[in-house]
Amino acid sequence: MSTQRLFNLPERLGGIFGSDRRHRLAAFLFVLPALVMLLAITIYPLIRTLQLAFVSLELSISPNEQYVGLDNFVRAFTDDPRFWNSMKNTAVLVFVGVGIQLVFGFVLALMANEMGRRRTVWVTLFMIPIMIAPVVAGFQFRVIFNDTFGPLNYLIEWASGGRITPPAWVADPGTSLLTIMITDIWQWTPFMLLIILAGLESISQEIEEAAQVDGASYWQLLWRIRVPLLLPVLIIGVLIRMMDTFKTFDLVFLLTGGGPGSSSETVAFYTYLNGFRFFSMGYTAVLALIQLVIIVIISQVFLKLQQRRGAI
Amino acid sequence: MLRHKRYIVLAAILVASFVLSSTIVVAQGGPEPLGLTDFELCPPFDDVTVTVVGDAGHNLAPYDFWADDFAEMGINIELIEVPFADVYQVEKTEFVAQTGAFDVVTFYPAFIGDFASNGYLMPLDEFMSREPASVWDPHQEDVLAPFRVLYNEFGGSTYALTIDGDVLVLMYRTDLFENPDEQAAFMEQYGHELRPPETWDEWLEVGEFFTRSAGETLAGEVLDQDFYGLAEFGRRSFSWAWFMNRAASAGVMYFDEEMNPLINSPEAVAALQNMVDSLQYAPPDVLNFGYDELRDAFIQGRVAMVVQWTDVPKKAADPEQSVIVGNVGVARVPGTLVGDTVVHRSMMPVGRVVGIAADSDVPDAAYCVIRHIAYSRSLEDVSTALTGLDPYRQSHLDNVEAYVPLMGEENAQAYLAGLEEALQDGFPEIFIPGAAQYEDVLDLHVNQALAGQETPQEALDAVAAEWDEITDRLGRDAQIEVWQQALESYRALGLIE
Repeated sequence: MSTQRLFNLPERLGGIFGSDRRHRLAAFLFVLPALVMLLAITIYPLIRTLQLAFVSLELSISPNEQYVGLDNFVRAFTDDPRFWNSMKNTAVLVFVGVGIQLVFGFVLALMANEMGRRRTVWVTLFMIPIMIAPVVAGFQFRVIFNDTFGPLNYLIEWASGGRITPPAWVADPGTSLLTIMITDIWQWTPFMLLIILAGLESISQEIEEAAQVDGASYWQLLWRIRVPLLLPVLIIGVLIRMMDTFKTFDLVFLLTGGGPGSSSETVAFYTYLNGFRFFSMGYTAVLALIQLVIIVIISQVFLKLQQRRGAI
Repeated sequence: MLRHKRYIVLAAILVASFVLSSTIVVAQGGPEPLGLTDFELCPPFDDVTVTVVGDAGHNLAPYDFWADDFAEMGINIELIEVPFADVYQVEKTEFVAQTGAFDVVTFYPAFIGDFASNGYLMPLDEFMSREPASVWDPHQEDVLAPFRVLYNEFGGSTYALTIDGDVLVLMYRTDLFENPDEQAAFMEQYGHELRPPETWDEWLEVGEFFTRSAGETLAGEVLDQDFYGLAEFGRRSFSWAWFMNRAASAGVMYFDEEMNPLINSPEAVAALQNMVDSLQYAPPDVLNFGYDELRDAFIQGRVAMVVQWTDVPKKAADPEQSVIVGNVGVARVPGTLVGDTVVHRSMMPVGRVVGIAADSDVPDAAYCVIRHIAYSRSLEDVSTALTGLDPYRQSHLDNVEAYVPLMGEENAQAYLAGLEEALQDGFPEIFIPGAAQYEDVLDLHVNQALAGQETPQEALDAVAAEWDEITDRLGRDAQIEVWQQALESYRALGLIE
């Protein structure tokens, strides 16, 4: 079909239908593929998840569903301490981990911004962790944190002259979640650096120069000019990272397997266990829905915050 | 000049290809055929492809070892390797989605109830009874009873063939235990002879004795790194089986006849306390020890004793993998003193079986593949250090000569004797649908107790409560019925009283 004939589709359809209906039908036909895709990969799974939340579907026993009303929700909210423990671990990763990424990313971006043209090389080097697949990063840090062969403990012992006995990072319930957080910070701080640097570059030189002419110090320039102007970028960066960190699964799977005990089990990992190890599909649906609601709330809070700042 | 450069690049590619292909040939080199098993290959198929799924690594190596046999049968093998811990969910997901992705499925026998009862597997009885027997019979009568009844059968039919008979044994460093200085020091410290621990209390004693810091002396040599008396499987996944070694020997069963949990009895709590106590004599990262780490800690000479699967002595006899070649003793897993008798129990965790997916398009060829791996070449596969597969047939125990090239006559005999003894102490997993949920809960709380997040009593009380919830969720009446059938099988096999 030639391009000309394609663009004439509304007119050609008009021969079949009236002019008004012709345009509506044409519009509908153009939107139809996207609509079908949306229904198939978003709306249907969401509706099916909602439906599953009210049934018991234990695939290890039988493929038959049994309506259980709100039982799955009651179990999640009142009778599953493991779920709440995984939520707590996830919250630590989301708020502490992303907070550290924000601070590190901000400082690095300020430093890169001061470097002028030389920053290209440094920024490119900083980007390497983002380019590495999380699976590879997980294995890499599993080796780094290894108590017997890992370089981290070797360096700690060497630097302290043997006076400090480093922990068995991954095998210690006090540090296992920290290993996941450190790996995540290593991998995603460059993302913060990148978007904050882009934000810094977009700040008009004239504003900064005007402030300097008025006698603003470096810190005043930073807190009174740059940070307020960067706020929309910071909010978006933090929002993206929070949503991403909320779903942390791969690093848990590779580094700690959720252990020792349940010390590093995140909510995404726990949901995976319920879905793909226990095949309790009804309960898994409830866990997924709770996470969805939480992510929607977090994103709405941030977007409202941004709207309040007049950025949107 | 440019042309010269092209020739150089071409030559480099050829050399690299040659080196790579040589490496592949080396990687495919397996054990030599022993000629100790009578079998005939299936009549050739017309270039059929059989897709095999299993846990990645050395346990799929036999499909490479016997590639020529499969080629002679007109069968191409396509291997799908999945991580050890993900076998169940990967296979289950494909079964539920009815994708028909696999012809041959390698799985852990604890899931045979799940797979067979849901109709995912093809019954094998018809294939097994075909004539001529030299081509089709997998000689199930040769498979040791627990590995046949529990691993292969469900509801009166055979759904799978065993390829790996797992049971745990105690392994210890003979050079340390037989060292006169160490023996004298032990006698002085504890007032009795140094020997491989007979009970779990002795396990702690011997573990304490051999735990030394760098700079101290061990068997006359000054240590350049810390040395530990023992190690455990501390990582989430199977740490529960190391707990059950102790608990079962003290008479603990998972449930009573009505599926009321028995797992939080005083004996079970004491057993878990023993495991918690043992960690002080284990490497600091023991809670991250899975199969690989536990094996390596032993064969790399960092611990004096471990309880492990029976393939580890073979690894320990291989100088390419081990620094303790010739210094490995095999003994019964320690037990618990009940009255005047020490009762030993060896868990039989994992194991591997192969079955045919119910929706396979090539069931005949798939059967020929599993029969070849499970019977025809099985002796070669279990007697090499190149796999992690353990003996499971009487013929594997009888043919000591198969192990001699690897271990030497004396060690091979000691290995098989130890293994046979361990099999007599065997204690089963939970062989009912929903096993993954029950075992995960037990594993989690055992692990939490090991990590100090719960006391042994709290941990096992939590297990009991959660097991009840699982049973209710899965349907108590149906679960009681399958559990009673499982108990009947355990009793018939002499695994429990």
